Order: sequence, then C-alpha cells, then structure tokens
Amino acid sequence: MVSISLRNVCLDYPLYGAYDYSLKRRLLGHLIREPGEMRIIRAVDNVAIEAEAGARIGLAGPNGSGKSTLLRLIAGVYPPSSGSVAIQGNIMPLLGLNAGVNLDFVAEDNIALLLRISGRKPTRSVIDEIWAFTELETRMQRLPLRMFSSGMLMRVLFATATAFPADILLLDEWLSVVDEHFAEKAQARLLNLVSQAAIVIIASHDQPLLRRTCTSIINLDHGRIASTVTVEPPSALPFELREKRA
Amino acid sequence: MHHTNDNPRRPSVLHIFKIYYPDLFGGTLTVIRDICASLKDAFAPAVLVCSQSAERREIVVNDVPVERVRSLGNLLSLPVAPTYPWRLWRKIAEHDLLALHAPFPLADLVFAFGFGAGRPLVVHWHADIVTHAGLRWFIEPLMRRTLRRAKAIIVSDEVLVDSTPLLREFEDKCHVVPFGIDTTGYDWPKIEPHQVNDRGRLVLACGRLVPYKGFDVLIRAAAAHNFEVWIIGEGAERPRLEQLIRELGLGERVRLLGSVNDCERIKLMCLADVFVMPSVTNAETFGLVQLEAMAAGRPVVNTALDTAVPRVARHGMEAITVPPGDAAKLGEAIDTLIRDPERRRRMGLAARTRAFNRYSATAFKQGMEAVYRDAVAAPREARSAAAEPPQAAGWVDTVRIAAALAWSDMRHRYVRSLLGPFWMSLQMAIVVAVLGSVIGQMSNADVLSRLPMLALSMTAWTFLNSVVLDATTALQNSASLIRDRALPPVIFLLQCTFRQALFALHNACVPLVLWLALTPHDLSHALAALPGLVLFVVCTFALSLVLGAMATRYRDLKPIIESTLMLAFLASPIIWSSEMINHRSTVMRINPLTHLFAVWREPLAGGHVDPVSIIYVLVVLALLICASVLTLAHLRKAAFWI
Repeated sequence: MVSISLRNVCLDYPLYGAYDYSLKRRLLGHLIREPGEMRIIRAVDNVAIEAEAGARIGLAGPNGSGKSTLLRLIAGVYPPSSGSVAIQGNIMPLLGLNAGVNLDFVAEDNIALLLRISGRKPTRSVIDEIWAFTELETRMQRLPLRMFSSGMLMRVLFATATAFPADILLLDEWLSVVDEHFAEKAQARLLNLVSQAAIVIIASHDQPLLRRTCTSIINLDHGRIASTVTVEPPSALPFELREKRA
Repeated sequence: MHHTNDNPRRPSVLHIFKIYYPDLFGGTLTVIRDICASLKDAFAPAVLVCSQSAERREIVVNDVPVERVRSLGNLLSLPVAPTYPWRLWRKIAEHDLLALHAPFPLADLVFAFGFGAGRPLVVHWHADIVTHAGLRWFIEPLMRRTLRRAKAIIVSDEVLVDSTPLLREFEDKCHVVPFGIDTTGYDWPKIEPHQVNDRGRLVLACGRLVPYKGFDVLIRAAAAHNFEVWIIGEGAERPRLEQLIRELGLGERVRLLGSVNDCERIKLMCLADVFVMPSVTNAETFGLVQLEAMAAGRPVVNTALDTAVPRVARHGMEAITVPPGDAAKLGEAIDTLIRDPERRRRMGLAARTRAFNRYSATAFKQGMEAVYRDAVAAPREARSAAAEPPQAAGWVDTVRIAAALAWSDMRHRYVRSLLGPFWMSLQMAIVVAVLGSVIGQMSNADVLSRLPMLALSMTAWTFLNSVVLDATTALQNSASLIRDRALPPVIFLLQCTFRQALFALHNACVPLVLWLALTPHDLSHALAALPGLVLFVVCTFALSLVLGAMATRYRDLKPIIESTLMLAFLASPIIWSSEMINHRSTVMRINPLTHLFAVWREPLAGGHVDPVSIIYVLVVLALLICASVLTLAHLRKAAFWI
C-alpha cells in the first residue's frame, strides 16, 4: 500500500553565513558570550498532505515558496523540524538530472553507475533498452560523456532516470528536454512513468501542465499551503489525446 | 459492558514503570493501579517493573500480573536493573499495547534503539526530569525518540504541555486526561465538614519522604505557629526530617506517621482540618493526594508550581496557594485557615464539589479508554512509522552503493592511463627507496631487512591519511547526489574508505614484492596480524566519519586536520621505528597512532603485542564508535551544510 502522510510538518532551514561555518568563531563566541545568532527561515510551514495511491499532486507557487524543499523533505533529504512524515513505498526523486554524472566515463559506465545508485542491477539488456530510447548510435555507448553535446547528454540522462517505474515519483520542474522531436517522445515516456507510479508529486511553474497531469494542485506561499485546488476529471481528455498523438 | 461481548479477546496492555506495589506507595502507582482496575473490562493489564526485593519475580497485585526484574540498587533515582531492557524486549511481543509511564530512561533506551517498533506505544507523562537535570543532554534525545514513536501522550493537565518544551514539540499527540478518583470511598460516616477533631488545628500532609515533597518546609512552618502536623509516608528523607523536628523541638506537635493503608489514610483525611501540599519542584505534576483530600472535603494549602498542582485546587476557591519553599508564607496560610473554621468549611465544600464534578473516575476512565482504543485501532500506521525493516535493508544498500561508487572511482584512474593507480605505487616505491637509503645512513641497522616493514607502514599511513583527507570534502563533492537523489550522506564517507582501500591494495604490491624478495616468508605471522589490521581499518573509517562530518559543518577544520595529520606522521613511528629513538618517549607513548600501528606490526614482525597497546586501541575504538553514533545521528542534517 503506497501512501504519503505529512502531518503539521515544519522545516526550519538554517542559513549558514560565512561565520557560521567557522568552529573557531563559534567557540570564541561561547567564550566571550556573544550569542551566535543563526538565521533560520521556515521553508515549510505547517504543511499537511495525505496522499493515497493514484494521487497526482501538483505543487505551484512563486520562486522560493518552498516547492523544491518540500519535495526534498518528502524524499528524506531534510529531516522535518516538527510534525510527522510517514511514507510507504519506494521513492524516486528526480530533482536534478545530472547528479552523479562523471563526464570522463564512457556513456555505458555512467548509465551502469546511475542505475546502481538507484539500486538497480545494470544488466546488458537494460542498458541496451535505455540506449535504444536515446536513438543515439550504438558505438557512442563507448564514448566518454564529455564528447556529447548537451542535447545528447540530456537524452542519455533522461532515458536512464526514467528507465524504471517507482511507487512514488517526485519531479522538480517538468524535466525540460531540448530538441523538438525528442521532447515529444520524452513527454510520452514521462507520462507513461507517471501513469505507472502510484503517487506523483510535481513541482512546476507551468500551470497548464499541472492542470493536465494532476488531480489536485497545491499552491504554496512562503512555505504554507495557500490553497488546494481539485482539478476536474474532464481535463483527462486532452491528456489522452496528447498521448495518442505522441 | 456491552463492548466486551463483541470483542472476545481483550487487547492486553503492558504498563512499563520503574517500581510497583508492594515496594512503594505513591501517586504514580495509584494512577497505574487505577488505570489497570478501571479499564480491566476492555484491556487486560500487565505490569513490568524493577524491584530490589529478592522475593518472587512474578506476583499478582489486585488481579494484575506483575513481573519484577531484579534491581541491584538505585543510581541517580533509577533502578540498576541490567536485565530490564532484555525482559522488556521479550515482553513487548506478548502485548497489543505498551503504556510507558515516563520518566523512565531505562525503557527509553529500549525504544530509542528501535525495539518494539511493531507495537503501539502510549506515553503517560507523569513528570519531567527535575532532580538530575545535569543528565538532560543525555536523556533528552532518548525521550524525544520515544515520544516521536509514541501514538499518544497522556498528560494530566494542559499546563504541562505548555510548560514542558519537549512536550510542546509533540503537541498534536498530547491528550489531556485529568486524573480521577473514585469518590464513593470518601463518604466516611459523619463526614460533616464541621465534624473536626476537638482542637481544630490538625494539619495533614501525605507523600513519599523525598526532597521534592518539601516536608522540611512544612516542619519549619510549624515552628512559628501552634498547629499540629501529621505526615503520612515513608522514604529516604526520614532521618533528616526527624532530626529537623528534634532540632526545632517540635516532637510534641509534628509526627511522621509512616506508611498507612488506603482505608486509614482516607480516615485521616476526613479527620484533618487542613491538607497541605508543600512540594517544592515541578517534579510534582498533579498531586493526586490533594485531590483525595479535596474529595474528603478538606481545604488545601498548596504551592505555586508551574504544573497542575495550583490548578487542581485553585487559590482562593479550594486552596490557598503560596510560593514554593517559603516556610513563612506557608505557615501563615495554614494559620489563616486554622483560625477561620467558617472559611475552612466553605473551602472544604467547594473542594469536594470540584473533586466530584471535575475529576470523576468515570471521566478518567472514558478518557483513558478512548486514547488506548485509538492507539490499538491504528497499528498499521504504527508499523509504517517504524523504520526497522527498511533500515536493515537500507544499510546493505548503503554499503552496496558506496562500493559501486568506490569501484567506479578506481576505474576512473584507469581511464586514459594504462597503469592507473599503479602510478601511485611506483611513486610509493621511489619514496621507500629514498627513505630507506636515508635511514640507512642515519642508523647502522640492517636497512634491507627493514625495507618491507617501512613500505607497509607507508602504505598503511597513506591509506589513513587519504581516507581522512578525502572525507573532509566528500560530502561537498557529492552535494548533488545527496540533495537531488536523496542518497544518505554516510554513503560518501564510506566511499572514501572503500576507494582508498582499493588504492592501498595497489600500493601493497610494493611491500609485497620487497617481502617476497628480502625476508624469509612466514605466513602465520601475516595471519596473526590480520585482527590488528582490521582494527586499524575500522578505526580509520570511524575517524573519517567523525572528522568528515565535522569538517563539512565547520569549514575551518580542514586546514587544522591537514596540519594535524602532518604532525601525526612525524610524531609516529612510521618512517622511523621505536628502537631508533633512545627510549620510548612520552609523546610517542600517548600517541594513539603508535599503538594503532603496533597492534598489527608487532605480530607481523613475529613479536608479541604489548597488552597496553591493545587496551589503548580498544579504548580509542570505543570512543570513536560513540562519536560515530553521535555523528550518524547528526548526519541527517548534512543536507543543510553542503
């Protein structure tokens, strides 16, 4: 049973200035009784989200409203300052594509390493499947990623990141994939991945996209839930059309 | 009770506390006993406690089975019962609900390590730790962990939640269930409020004779006035109180009655004119006895603590509240009541009404039952909060990912280079050759026979040095994997050790070749050195874990660590050996690295390890492991630092 349950979750994000990184200064501060004032911002403020299997949640809000932080909190990167976070199911956080990439390695090794990092066994067939999706030439598998153009690199990373379905999918900004033809294909694959995942949470500025893909949209403002909008079912129609066209 | 019919088996509740009847009497125990008794239709109770008595371990008190774990005595107000955590763990599996009566750090220890995560836990918060506040830094994280996994926290009054910072963190879990008493027992014949003893000056107090109850204040207050004081209860303070009574010459008027059974106590309460609750610290959270006195229709004098005490019997209505520890004010308040029978009567009636209406046993029972039912009804959620099985799998994954990353790091060295890490081995060979010849000039010892050990020591040192140095930057270098892929930071510290171990294996071919070429081969020595070598590696990893995390948090540590390592290299017998120095210098003897090298070098050379070295290394290892555990707890926050 896949579920996410956040109850009254707050996250106080400590902002470390140059001095806060210094142990010497901190110890001195203790000696001369200077109260070391740590600046803290409340990045997530009293957020409650309950999601069962089938939920597609969009997070909207201006920059700095806590979308990414909330995703990271659900992913377990940041521990909540208070409140409870209970999650069942394995989480796949796709918050940045180029995490863990080594440009000096050949493409094949990078794919294998990235798969291992997400806890998968990189077998020959899996790598070939991923490579087929990128539509790049087979011999390029043996080239170091440094030689790839940024578009080609994106293809490889995107194909690897989306190779396996997950119970809970966390997406930060709809992954932008550059070239035109591939973008459509990527979109289809992502939608497919979204349809397989039990719970999807997407953070994006793109309101039309959120309306197309999500069942409910949470508007964040300064870490608080400003409003929750339930998207009406008819919106599934254009979504299906789009899939067929792709 | 109709609900027992459709529920054939009552869920069982295990009450966890430090002590129980008949070893002690007191408010907390009364509460536990009342919960057991009043909920027995809905829940089957059992009690697990400690006891110093050598009598039977399993007894039955008021139809409740009680297991008493042998305790060797009390240390810092806690029973020393080494087997308690073990018994608790065994008992947890037999019950459907756990009711921990806090504070009891011994049980917190069990829950903090994640045992019993499969069972719902309800915490009865009786009091904060007040007496040994110096131990807070150690106890508080344990208590926080317990509270975090608890389904519900039961307190007797809202004010406890507001005044206890630890409880405020878990405000949403706190349920206020005021204690209740069965008032029927207090209808003692002739309990007419004006029916008092002849002189009308009998003051009663009740409680264990322990410092926080403040009985010494009461005795001192009695000295300035002429009322009589009877104190019910037994405890360690008795000799001191007796001495105080003698010193003040109050033997006539102040009596310590000792332990008194329930029936007698109620009779005494009905007999007294004023009931006093002179407690001096917040360890007194509610004051069940004052509620009993109220039920008996007695006016109360209590103290202005930050707890429920002045809220149960309110100043001016059922009680006179005075500042805690103020003997003069306490005496005055008592005297006011003694001299004014009409006011006594009025307050007594008000007290009795309040006890009946506000603190009824029925309300208490319903409140408790609701909390217990909710806790048992949602065991599935409890299991999701318990991270035990995923954590076990998580560790295997962590090691596997770290190994994969380290392996890829090593392969990276072979990219665009045929020799790969062997370049470093070559460099090592040159260093050893040069050092060997220099040392040969300095001392007249046999240089060639020394070379393999020199090379091996250099390899080991390079390993330790690089692991620690790598660790200081490892987390920052992997920031994107930590923040975007949510990998646990410890992976990257483990990766440093794995990677350098792989490089060390490359480097090890230099000492290996020298050993094969220059000295007689004796494999048994190499085997004898293995345990020491394992200790060396484990210590290195623990050190890198601690320093790596600290250097990420405090950036100015990195240069300090670098220069300390340099100094350690020069001060340790790595390129020189202890025999080359005149005598073992003090610096060398207290240098942990000397011993860390000795535990595997001595057996490898065919000698015996000095027991001092082994003990030294084990102590260092124990300290490092403690520090590592602390570090791991803080490493959750590493994402903020990078």
